[in-house]
Amino acid sequence: MSAPTNLASTLAPPFSMVSKYFIASVLSFVLLCGLMVLFSADIQGHHFQPKLLAMTHIATLGWITMVIFGAMFQLVPVVLEVRLFSARLGEIQFWIYTAGTAGLVYGFWFFHVGVLFTVSASLITLAMALFILNIVTTMGRVKQWNLTGLFLLSALVYLAITALAGLLLSINLGYPFISRIHLDYLKIHAHLGFIGWVVMVIMGVGLKLIPMFGLSHGYSTKPARVALVLVNIGLLGVSIEWLLTGAAWLLTTYVVILVLGLLVFVVQLVLILKHRMRRILDLGMKHSVVAFAYFLLSTLFGLGLATVEIESTELRESLILMYGGMIMLGFFSMLIVGQMYKIVPFLVWFHTFSDKVGKEPVPMLKDMFNERLGSVQFWIMNGGIVLVLFGLGSSQPIIAKAGLIAVFMASILFAFNLATVFRLRSRYGNKRIHT
Amino acid sequence: MATRESIREALKMVIDPELGLNLVDLGLIYDIDLDEDSIHIAMTLTTAGCPLHESMIEAVRHVAQSADLTKMVYVDLVWEPPWTPELMSEDAKKALGWSTVATR
Repeated sequence: MSAPTNLASTLAPPFSMVSKYFIASVLSFVLLCGLMVLFSADIQGHHFQPKLLAMTHIATLGWITMVIFGAMFQLVPVVLEVRLFSARLGEIQFWIYTAGTAGLVYGFWFFHVGVLFTVSASLITLAMALFILNIVTTMGRVKQWNLTGLFLLSALVYLAITALAGLLLSINLGYPFISRIHLDYLKIHAHLGFIGWVVMVIMGVGLKLIPMFGLSHGYSTKPARVALVLVNIGLLGVSIEWLLTGAAWLLTTYVVILVLGLLVFVVQLVLILKHRMRRILDLGMKHSVVAFAYFLLSTLFGLGLATVEIESTELRESLILMYGGMIMLGFFSMLIVGQMYKIVPFLVWFHTFSDKVGKEPVPMLKDMFNERLGSVQFWIMNGGIVLVLFGLGSSQPIIAKAGLIAVFMASILFAFNLATVFRLRSRYGNKRIHT
Repeated sequence: MATRESIREALKMVIDPELGLNLVDLGLIYDIDLDEDSIHIAMTLTTAGCPLHESMIEAVRHVAQSADLTKMVYVDLVWEPPWTPELMSEDAKKALGWSTVATR
C-alpha cells in the first residue's frame, strides 16, 4: 500500500520563498503604475532623467526581474525534475535584492548617487550572482539538456553582464571614471538586460509553457533553434560594435541578425499556437497573445528607429518613448500579467490542494480568482495602453495620462485578483505542517 | 469487488486542474490490469516535465486504492506510446473548443 507523501515538498521549493518574489513583483507593478500617473510629466522629453530612471528600475528590477526569479525558482526544479540547489539561498537572495532595489530606486529618484547608491547596486549584483549560482548549480544536476535549458543558460550569462555593466554605470554616475560617453554603456546595459536577459527567459520559458497551456502537439521547434543562434550572434555583435565603435555597416548587420532572430521566434510562437488543441483562449492566454502581438510590433518599430533617419529631434524622442511604452506595457506587462494568472494559481494550488486530489473536491485553477474581474481588467489595460502609446507618440500628455490612469486601475484590479488567490492559501493551506 | 470498469469510472474523479477535465476523458489512463492481489495502472501525461506530474500519479493511486482496499496498487508512468490529442474523448475535445470534425 502506498505511503502518503507530502507532494508539495518533494521537488518544489517552499511556498513562502517563491511567493515572496511574486508578491514583491505585483506590489512593484502597482507602485510603478501609480507613480507613472502622478509623475506622467516626467515620462516626456529625453529618457535620461532621474524620475524616469527610477521608474524604469522599479519596472525592470521590481516588476519584471522579481517575477522571473520567482517563476524560475518554481518552474526550473519541477520542469527539469531536479531539486533546487538551495531554497535558503533563494530566501537570502530575496532580502539582499529587495534592499538593493529599494536603495537604487531611491538613489535615482532623488539623484543621490553617492555611497548608498553604489552599495545598493553592489547588493543587486550580489543577489543576481547568488541567483545565477543557485540556478546553474541546479541545472548541473540535469542529465538531458533541452532547448529551454539553453535559452535559460544564455539568459543567465546576459544577466551577469547586465548586472556588471549596471554596477559600473552606477559607480560612474557618482564617481566618473569611464572616459567614454555614459549613454553608450547605458545602451549596452539596457539592450542586454531587455533582450539578453528578459526576452531570452521569455523565449525559453514560453517554449515550455505556451504548448503546455495550449496543449500543442506535433509542431517543429526548428524556428526556436534558429532564433537561439541568431539572437545570440546579433546581441553579442551589437554589444561589441557599440563598445568598440566599429564600422556602421557591421552594426547594421548585427541589428538585422538580431531582429531576424526575434522574428523567427515569433514564427515559432505562431506555429505553437496554430497546433494548439485547446482552442479556447483563457484569460492568461488572451493577455499573452496580445503581448506577443506587441512583441512583433515593437521589434519592427525598433528596427525602424535604428535604420530610418528622423530629422526632428522632438519627434524622435516621442517615438523612442512610444517604443519604450510598447515594450514595457504592451509586451512585458501584458505577458507577465497573463502568465501570472496561470502560474500563481498553480503555485497556490500545488502547495494547498495537490495532495487532496481524488480525496476531496479541489478547485480548478481558473476558479481560484474572479475571471470576470480579470476580463474587465484585461480590457481596461488594453484600452489604457493604446491611449498611452498614442499620447506619447503624438506628444499629447493628456491622452497619455488618461491611458496611464486606466493602466493603474487595471494594475489594482489585477493585484486584487491575485490577492484572492493567495487568500485561498491562508484559508485552506495552513492546516498542513510544512517541512 | 472492483472491476476494471469500476476503477476506470472512479478515476474520473481525478481532474486536471488546469484543463478542468478528468484523466480518463483526456485519454491519459492507458491500461488497468487486475490480478488476485494487485492493481496495475499504466498512465501518461500530456507533456513530459509537467508540473502536475506527482499530484496526478498520487491521486490515481489513492483513488484506485479506495476502490479496493485489499489490493496493492502500482501506478506506472509511461511515455510510450506518447499521448496525442486523438486519445481524448469526444466530450473532452468539445470542452477544449474543438469542433467535432476531426481534421487534425
